[in-house]
Parts: sequence; C-alpha cells; structure tokens
Amino acid sequence: MPFDDLPEDPTGEMDRLGIDRAFVTHTLSLYSDAAAGNEALLALDDPRLVPVPVVVPGETGEELPGVRMVRLCPERHRFDLTGPATLRSLSALGLPAAVDLEETSPAQLRHLAERLPAQRLLVLNPGYRRLRALAELMDEAPNVWAEIGTVNTQGGVEWLSARYGAGRLVFGTGAPVADDCGPRFLLDHLDLPAEDVERIAAGSLEAMV
Amino acid sequence: MILDAHGHVGTWPDFLIPHPAAEHLLAAMDRIGVAAMGISHLLAVGPDAVRGNAAAMEIAARFSGRFGVWQVYNPHHRTQLPSVGTPGVWGVKLHPDVHQCRLDDPSYEPVWRCGLPVLAHGQTDSPWSDPAQFAAVAARHPHVPLIMGHTGLWPYGFGRAARLVADHPSVFLETCGSKMTGRWIARLAALAGAERVLFGSDACFLDLRTGYGRVALAPLTDADRALIQGGNLARLLGLPLPDLRLPDLPGPPEKGHPA
Repeated sequence: MPFDDLPEDPTGEMDRLGIDRAFVTHTLSLYSDAAAGNEALLALDDPRLVPVPVVVPGETGEELPGVRMVRLCPERHRFDLTGPATLRSLSALGLPAAVDLEETSPAQLRHLAERLPAQRLLVLNPGYRRLRALAELMDEAPNVWAEIGTVNTQGGVEWLSARYGAGRLVFGTGAPVADDCGPRFLLDHLDLPAEDVERIAAGSLEAMV
Repeated sequence: MILDAHGHVGTWPDFLIPHPAAEHLLAAMDRIGVAAMGISHLLAVGPDAVRGNAAAMEIAARFSGRFGVWQVYNPHHRTQLPSVGTPGVWGVKLHPDVHQCRLDDPSYEPVWRCGLPVLAHGQTDSPWSDPAQFAAVAARHPHVPLIMGHTGLWPYGFGRAARLVADHPSVFLETCGSKMTGRWIARLAALAGAERVLFGSDACFLDLRTGYGRVALAPLTDADRALIQGGNLARLLGLPLPDLRLPDLPGPPEKGHPA
C-alpha cells in the first residue's frame, strides 16, 4: 500500500476520536486475496470492529454466519456489478452490501437496485463532486444509503439530509487510508437537530443492517 | 483565534456547491469559532477576475473584519493589482492550473513586485503548479510571503513539498484539500516546523468544518495547533496576534521588496 503511516490497530485512533465501533474490511481483502482477508477479519473477534467481508461473486461462499454487511469491489475484482453472478450471490446472502462509488457508477447502482429492489446498498466514498448524480440515485432507489465521510462541499451533508432524511446518511471515514479527523469533527458540528445527528452517527447504519 | 487562510465564495461549474454564499460561510465560521477567512471569489478564479474581485471586496466591506480578500490575478488579462494597505485585502491569489500559466512564468512578475503576500494553488506533478516551482519562485523573490495552497494536493507529494521549500522560509504550507488528513498535518508540522504550516479550508468549495476538523483533531501539541490554526497567519498578515505563547520565531519576510 502506498502509505507509510497506517496504524496496525485502528482502535487507538478510535479511542482518541470517540468512535465506539467501526465497520471494517481487511486490508488483504482489498489489496491481496479476498478470502484470506475475510478469514483474518473474522478471526479478529473484536466487538468494536464489525467485520465487513468482501464478496467476490461466484467465489465467496453464500453462508457468512454472524456477518451483518458485505462489501463488493467490482472494479478491483473485475466483475459485473449487475451481472447474473452478482445478482445470484446477493440474493442468496440477503445482506446489505457496501460499494465504493469509485468502483462503480450511479447508473450501475440504479440498475442493481432495479434488479434487486429489496437489496440494501450503502454507497461508500460518494465524494463531493457527484452530489447531483448521487441525489438522482437516491431519488430512484429508496434502499440506497450514503456514507458521508467524503461529502465534503460546504453544507453537502445538510443538503442530502434535507432531501432524503438523516436516516439514509451514515457516518464513515475511510480511515486509516482516508482522513478521520475532518469527518469526525463535521459530525459534531452539523447544522441538524440532535436526533438527526444521532441517526447519522449510528442509528441509520444500525437500522440498515 | 482561528484564521482560515484559504476560502472562496461563489459557484463552480464542475459540481454543485449547496451553500456558495458568504452568509452561510459566516454562520459556519461562527459555529466553530473561525474569526476570519481569506477569500477569493470563484468567478474571479474562473472567467472574470475583475467582477469576481469586486464581489469579494463587497463581501469584505459588508462583513468587516470577518473576510479578507485574496484578489485574483489572471496573467492573461493582466488584472489590476491592489495596493499595499488597501482595506480588506490580504494579498493576491494565483491559480496557475485554471489559468494554465506556470507559477514560475514571467507573466507573474508584477505580482511578485506588488508588495503583498501571495496564495497560489499548488499541485504535485502539475505542469503549472508543482511545488518545485514554489521553490524556484521563492529563490528569485525571497521577500514575498508565498503560501502553497494544498501543499501539493496529493498525499504522495506532501513530504516532497515540505522538503523542496525547506530552505525557503518565505514559503508556507497550507492544509486544505480533499485528500489531506489530520495525521499528515501533524507530519507536516514535524517535517517543516509548525511555524511554516497554515490552516486553510477551501470552503465553500469544500466544507469548512471538515477542513478545520483535521487541524482541531490532528495529533498536535496545543502550541503547534495554535500556530497552525491562526498564529502563523496573524503574524504573516500583521494582524493582532492571538493570545498564545509563540516560540521565538524570525519575523515575517519583509514585504514590498522587489527582488
């Protein structure tokens, strides 16, 4: 990985920043072997680190006991997000799936949501330059949630909340690869009612999974 | 005291900015305690420096003391430069990438001779604004305070940016950008010295709270955080210093010396 400052254990930074639990994926699942990463992740057995294994359709087993959400990497693992193997795999798993927007497109996600209308999807890393496209997706697909760590243009989180409700927004950071300090501070200073901030902080994700 | 070295007002064609107006920025500043922000109008960064600069000056006058203006200089249009001491002006803003004119191009000579601090977009590996060009300009004009916006923008270049300007004390590293992290701000303070690092947010282009949060929650000492979030910029601009104990720093680069 092209970084030299990543902590071995994220819980120290979580303590420092007041983050109780994190949904996490193993480095090996993203940068090496998905199955090996998933195995290492599930072996962590740390109640503060909720495992989000990476599913490679057609390869990953369809029984993931104790797992509450999976992650798909269609670009990294070179598969079709809306192809028959993915549709079969997601239908069999019946779990919410997280997808980085940089690994796909709003159009592909909309297509996936149309094919599997009950499938819950969490869009990771939506960024700040595609708010219009993200909004169009959330308009059309009520089972799409957005992670806010990179919604980083002035008032972007409040703009999404006004349209879709805080219940469809999820606090996230992308740490330790991405920044955790900025999103954590933003969470504490959102111009939203306290109950909406609480939904974004934890309630939306708890409800989704 | 928190001072934001790098702000904007206005819309930008690439994407939706939900709250591009000064009033919203001011509310966000009040919410987190930012005393003042240096702004350039995005209209000025883009197609019309004259109208955009005028709009920014109007905002600075309307909210006196809360906004300072970085007046945009478009080298193709040879925009009129402000005079030293113009109320509301903090300095000159350059965007070599938008204007497609290298930072070390002779077209900018009037800027280096106008006697004001300069904030310039800096982007590692850009043909227009690579940090090496900041070092080259600083070597030619060592008396001009030069703020490297974004410290090169890409994380793989942050360390190199700090090394390139290590021997040019007139260059300051500014923290805004979507790829900056709290950890990197602490590393920049360790690499370059906290007295060379300035907080900037890029709001309203980016969210002020996210930008400041990286400084507020970075693993820094209180003294270093105080320098980065306001002390250094106050000293650079000659503003009243915040109530903090500053280390024994050299004075600001002398202004107004044509090099």
